[in-house]
Amino acid sequence: MNSITKQLFRFPLLIWLALLPLISFETHSSRPVTIIFKHKMGDRELQLFNETYTNPFGEPIIITRFKYYISHLSIAGSDQKETALSDKTFLIDESDPHSKTLVFTTPVTAPQSLSFVIGVDSVLNISGVQTGSLDPLNGMFWTWNSGYIFARLEGKSDSSHAPAHLVNWDAGGFRPPYNASRKIKLDLLNTTSPVITIEADLVKWFNATHAIHIAQSPLCHQPGRLAMQLADNYSTMFSVAP
Amino acid sequence: MKAIITISGLLFALFLGIAWIEGGKTPTPLSFVVPRNWPKPKYDLTSNPLTREGFLLGRKLFFDPRLSIDSTISCGSCHQQFAAFSTFEHNLSHGVNSSLTTRNAPALQNLAWQSDFMWDGGIAHLDLQPLMPFTAPNEMGETVAGVIHKLQQDADYPKMFRAAFGSPLINTQRLTKALSQYMLMLVSSNSKYDQVMRGEATFQLAEQLGYDIFKQKCSSCHKEPFFTDLSYRNTGLPVDETLNDYGRMTITGNPKDSLKFKVPSLRNVMLTFPYGHDGRFFSLLNVFDHYRRDMAVASTTDSLLQHKLPLSNYEIGQLTAFLQTLTDSSFLKNSMLAPDDNVPLPPSMHLHGT
Repeated sequence: MNSITKQLFRFPLLIWLALLPLISFETHSSRPVTIIFKHKMGDRELQLFNETYTNPFGEPIIITRFKYYISHLSIAGSDQKETALSDKTFLIDESDPHSKTLVFTTPVTAPQSLSFVIGVDSVLNISGVQTGSLDPLNGMFWTWNSGYIFARLEGKSDSSHAPAHLVNWDAGGFRPPYNASRKIKLDLLNTTSPVITIEADLVKWFNATHAIHIAQSPLCHQPGRLAMQLADNYSTMFSVAP
Repeated sequence: MKAIITISGLLFALFLGIAWIEGGKTPTPLSFVVPRNWPKPKYDLTSNPLTREGFLLGRKLFFDPRLSIDSTISCGSCHQQFAAFSTFEHNLSHGVNSSLTTRNAPALQNLAWQSDFMWDGGIAHLDLQPLMPFTAPNEMGETVAGVIHKLQQDADYPKMFRAAFGSPLINTQRLTKALSQYMLMLVSSNSKYDQVMRGEATFQLAEQLGYDIFKQKCSSCHKEPFFTDLSYRNTGLPVDETLNDYGRMTITGNPKDSLKFKVPSLRNVMLTFPYGHDGRFFSLLNVFDHYRRDMAVASTTDSLLQHKLPLSNYEIGQLTAFLQTLTDSSFLKNSMLAPDDNVPLPPSMHLHGT
């Protein structure tokens, strides 16, 4: 082995060794936090396709699709100062079990509250094509009035007068005055557990700030007033499970 | 422990080696020339650095009909170079399965200076633009996943993506960035008007008289040097009851935006007929007659047009002479922008105006 080849092997080795303590230092200073999303309709666990639920207005619905974007996830300790858990945007999808568990690390030792935005930052709506969870390929994107669909609840209902009795509620929009992103802040019950379970109750989509009947509004396919009302409603669907 | 360190060291050396080999094939930068006295582009070129390989990939994609569901329609089907990348002589552009769109495909030129696209400005970035025609059932009728799948199966595309972006990965972002690289190069800045402005040519009398009338009566909306101020205006076009296209209002949800459409550029206007968002005017004379006689003035009609736009026959004659000077044949015939071009692309494409 000539000396140049020896150098070539020794150099990366040195970097490797130099980086090792840094890696262990990084993991030592923060603790893991796991956030689990669970979806329910009233007191029943959400099941896509197989169950018929009844909303607060007595309208039946079979839910076929349920997904939404979560961004700006942060956690605060007793000083109320919000520390970001991630700068990423996550697509929580009922049909994809992996998407419903998020794992982070945080330097906050005794978290008192968790906050996040249901929606996609307006900058990411106007900065070209994104990758990963924000790839328009994921079907959470309007191409003709470009921008992300923030939350999507779809199903079938005999109360719907839309073609094929469909219920398609696609809410989103970033342009004022119809910016449908909503910030959510939840107080944590158990400040020591490394696992936070968040329940989302789909009943709120129909009746919270606004009463939204399937018979009157089975379809939402664009930013606007109905999308804003749906966002007002679903922003109240989250609670921390005991 | 020693073995692990040795193995990781070996892997690292291997990685360096691969990086070195790959590094030998970095794409060739392509310079984007801003014509003299033009503003800074709105497109962030640092987010998508132009390269020869990216441009060539974008050009191939632009003219590839396989991007549509039945391999019949490419971007270039409705955006034809000889018509300044609009649809020549068609009022409403066509889609797959003999479908019709509801609009006249606009000319594609000087897109680097725009931040919103379509007649209603609904699309907020050039990279996002292709997603709409790909997926619209009355345009190319495909899905983004379908387009990517076809490209992955092709013999050439993975190589071209590798040449442009460093690896054969094909995703939505790379696909649209490549298309943008081609579209950004569609710069029209060498018409007779431009040559006159640069002091390289002089207007004939009718052209000069037309230019003076233009500056007085047209240029507040058709602003130089793009011959559009890129605003949305209601020019008194009554709604077509079969299309029910209310333009900008569809995007904003604001009734004040009813029947507002983007002011089109007048560059290469002699080639972009028919005119109007739905191609309802087949000739320039139809457009002039609309402004001086046929406009339906209502509350949301543009404030500059509340009394229509009086134009004499004489003025129309001179204006027409001036508008002819906006034809840029070096753009319309640039072989580097054409499909299946065998002319080797120089490292820096020559654009006029420096």
